[in-house]
Amino acid sequence: MTTVGDRTRQLVAPVTTPVPEAARRHLGQQLASRLGSLVDPLPAGGPVVVTLPVLRQARQRPESLADTEEPFAWRPIFVRRSLGLAVVEACARGRFRTPLEAVGPVTDEAVGRWEETGWRTFHWEPWVAGLAPGARAMVLAEAVGWASSLWSSLHWSSIPARSRFGGTDDQWVCPAVPPVRLKGRSELCVPVDVRGPSGRDGGTVALVSVAGGCPTDTWSEELAYLALVASLRSPSLPVPARVLGLWPDAGTDRSVEIDTGTLALAADRVVATTAAVVRSRLVVSL
Amino acid sequence: MVVLDIERPLGVSGLLEVAGTAPGAGRSPRVRPETGRAVPSRAHRSSWEPLSGDALLERLRITGRPRPAAHPDLVQRLRSVLESGLADQAPRPAEGRDGPPVSDTDPLPSPVLVTKERLHRALACDAHSVATGSGPRPFSPSLACGALIDVLFRQLVTVGGIGDPMTDGLAALAVDDHQADLRSWIDGLAGPERDEVRAEVERQAEGLRRRWPALDPGWLPRTQQAMRVRLADGCVELSARVDLAIGRPARDEASVAIVEVASGSRRVEHRADLHFYALIEALRSPAPPFVVATYYSRTGELDVDPVTDELLVGAARRTLVGTRRLRHPDVGAESGRGPSPWCSRCSILLEGDLGPWPVTGTVPDPVSPTIGGGR
Repeated sequence: MTTVGDRTRQLVAPVTTPVPEAARRHLGQQLASRLGSLVDPLPAGGPVVVTLPVLRQARQRPESLADTEEPFAWRPIFVRRSLGLAVVEACARGRFRTPLEAVGPVTDEAVGRWEETGWRTFHWEPWVAGLAPGARAMVLAEAVGWASSLWSSLHWSSIPARSRFGGTDDQWVCPAVPPVRLKGRSELCVPVDVRGPSGRDGGTVALVSVAGGCPTDTWSEELAYLALVASLRSPSLPVPARVLGLWPDAGTDRSVEIDTGTLALAADRVVATTAAVVRSRLVVSL
Repeated sequence: MVVLDIERPLGVSGLLEVAGTAPGAGRSPRVRPETGRAVPSRAHRSSWEPLSGDALLERLRITGRPRPAAHPDLVQRLRSVLESGLADQAPRPAEGRDGPPVSDTDPLPSPVLVTKERLHRALACDAHSVATGSGPRPFSPSLACGALIDVLFRQLVTVGGIGDPMTDGLAALAVDDHQADLRSWIDGLAGPERDEVRAEVERQAEGLRRRWPALDPGWLPRTQQAMRVRLADGCVELSARVDLAIGRPARDEASVAIVEVASGSRRVEHRADLHFYALIEALRSPAPPFVVATYYSRTGELDVDPVTDELLVGAARRTLVGTRRLRHPDVGAESGRGPSPWCSRCSILLEGDLGPWPVTGTVPDPVSPTIGGGR
């Protein structure tokens, strides 16, 4: 099993062979072409959305892709990631010693900011603000559990201060009809140096993804998918050098180094997933 | 196997007091030094009081045994016991098919999920299966009490306090989709039944508040922690969710204590549950937990089981037998009709040598159906 120290060292280790810009461009063009022909039989309408959970769903329970989504309602498990990330960030910045100490004040601050501004960009804060103490405690408990797993998985003193916690999802839209929208969500984005003659200015990044359950035999493609979406999103941003996956329930982690081969495999997985989604939509519309 | 039961007389000196290392040593248990086994004292039973505060934590932290070191060989042996025992068993048809998926559109097989409840059902002999039934338990005041105490314990650990127990507990259940039906059932209770639930929940919540001290945040206390381990190339998944895990994840030495909270009476299967948790934690972490315990919120008792190699090996064997039955329920059904050493209730009878086992008919449920008989 990987120790916390080894895992952290591997995460922030410099890279020597970043993915060339031309390879990234070629991959994007190819993927757009393949996805365009796949969705062609679908009637124009809402986009086909591919996310990491959809990637897994298509592989493990493809029949469920046709299921109607239940109306969204906030639950503690939907808040735990956002609040948990804020808690870990507060700890990593040295404001608190542990997630349990941080969770109350961090929640109060977030709710307080929403109450002051009333901005619509806030999401879970209005819901939590209206909860009774017993329900609010469950939200905090979920967040503490989630944050404690991430907090104890890395040596935070070795993680660069410029690292990004959460933030907006990476997104790339394939201009097909209907459009195909790839969305990638990583928990942490860590700056990584590039060494050697092929190094590019500004370095690159490593991503960290936290997932429930156990890794399946396709974990490598799933982690690489996050790098693929981050790569396609903007040519001005670096192609991530590696992606670390944490599965706290299973007490395990996996890491994949990103090169043209792993990105191509992830692209294949996107194509297979999109094909499964298209099939399920066609069945439903019959 | 040593079980340090927390039932203890007041004012009896013990190992911890002699060592002079434990806070609240005046309330330490009487311990037989050579074995670490607690010695029950009938003379003082009438003055027994549940542990509380630092003494409760000390009982969890100091088991009378050295903490297990990270032991990769043992983990490998445990895995071998399970993997080799499952390898000679063909996957059941529902698992999909043999071998890995052959194409991207080929769905992955779903693993056989092994939980403590499924193990109990698989390992119970037919007589007890009939007596206890299968599927989800019907709603009852005791089940409601158990669910409410679970969320109140979680609240206490996380925010350090409980307001009105029934109000807080129902608010907590309201944001859990899995408890929506139970919540509706509680809401629909007639006045006297609801009062009965309320009274018991308030009594047990008061016990939690009085006895459980604030846990040091540095121990990373986490509630309802999920634990999962996959075996047999992903065909089997051991799964558990523990009420409380304390201690930073293990590195070189065991550092985690696992506590299960039970609102009902002691049941024999509770120890098997703890051992199952210890096994999963051992398989997924560098070291096993150093202790597993059940806290009985009805009485304040704390059953503490220090984790040993023998405990883990026993848990692995039991899990293997149960998992094999879960994968192929039809195999061995005939032999399951008699008393079984793996059936937690039969095992008590076997120890007592109570004579031949009735082959047919049902067995009276030894658990009181009254409130407090929850999980």
